[in-house]
Amino acid sequence: MPIQPILRYPHPVLKKLCNRVDICDAVILNLVADLLDTMHAGPGSVGVAASQIGVTLRVCVVDVSASRHGRDNNHGQLCMINPEIIARSGAAIMREGCMSVPDYTGDVERATEITVRFCEPDGTERQVAASGFEAVAIQHEMDHLDGILFLDRITSIKTGLFRRKNYA
Amino acid sequence: MTNQPEILHYAVSVVGKDRTGIVAGIAEVLFRLGCNLADSSCTMLAGEFAMILIVSHPRPFSKTRLHDELKPVCDSLGMSLAVRTLHADEITRLETQGEICVISVYGADQPGIVFRVTRELATQGVNIMDLNTRLIGSHDAPVYVMMLEAAIPDGQTPEGLEGLLGNLRQELNVEIGVRVVTPVSL
Repeated sequence: MPIQPILRYPHPVLKKLCNRVDICDAVILNLVADLLDTMHAGPGSVGVAASQIGVTLRVCVVDVSASRHGRDNNHGQLCMINPEIIARSGAAIMREGCMSVPDYTGDVERATEITVRFCEPDGTERQVAASGFEAVAIQHEMDHLDGILFLDRITSIKTGLFRRKNYA
Repeated sequence: MTNQPEILHYAVSVVGKDRTGIVAGIAEVLFRLGCNLADSSCTMLAGEFAMILIVSHPRPFSKTRLHDELKPVCDSLGMSLAVRTLHADEITRLETQGEICVISVYGADQPGIVFRVTRELATQGVNIMDLNTRLIGSHDAPVYVMMLEAAIPDGQTPEGLEGLLGNLRQELNVEIGVRVVTPVSL
């Protein structure tokens, strides 16, 4: 089962809280392989979370090295099992779109620097300090593991730029 | 051949003094008619609430029917109403090429800011997708703010565009900034 179809909202799995992985067994290795194949198949895709292919486990892959926003600042291909953000700082707004919510984009504020701890597919624990677009991509994919879509994070609409004025 | 009924589209605009219940009143009529609210943008402009709706309904249906059903509720809410039929080739979603930018323009209020800036953008082949303007500041020192979102043509850069707007910046003595907001797909 290499390339998997990306589920689109309103598929219920996309709003599910994903379960922690207990053991990195063959099932998990296959899942990681599927996620990588699916990510590489999507045009311009920089990450896929397990829930996007229908698996409610805390696994996601991120690779921004081929994208223009991330090519100068990245850790290559990241396969993250049970990822946890253990430190975050800064804030920046980026307009995000998502393969699971096509034809819509919105401005989302994310931390600009994060430290994420996760388990590699071979079972070793790893810690990565990511910034810029890679940090945004990791936060976006990790949100999927909590059933959170970028739609849940859009904080402003355009007219919200201004305070209401009293014209009277 | 297809058995799918043809979908008719209408552009509906409703404008009037703001009060509670406008959206619900219009939406109730559309719901009762079996209309679909395909796209919409509604906002407060000064004290007016302005609604622009793209409404769809399968054939058989008519603009007259839509207008006549909306008219009583608009009258009761004190809103103006306009309905226009859209042709099929008008309703396709346009995919933009090139970078999407927010262009901010602000400075002391004066006539012609919108005209001069948008004329220059049109000359450069920049397609405006969203625009809003607001008068802020004090009575004695009014400040005009214009925010627009635009797709800049291939080959054009935000910096290049900002440079091309430099003359206007000096002439009108306004600030003009161009920032890329092209969505990242994740």
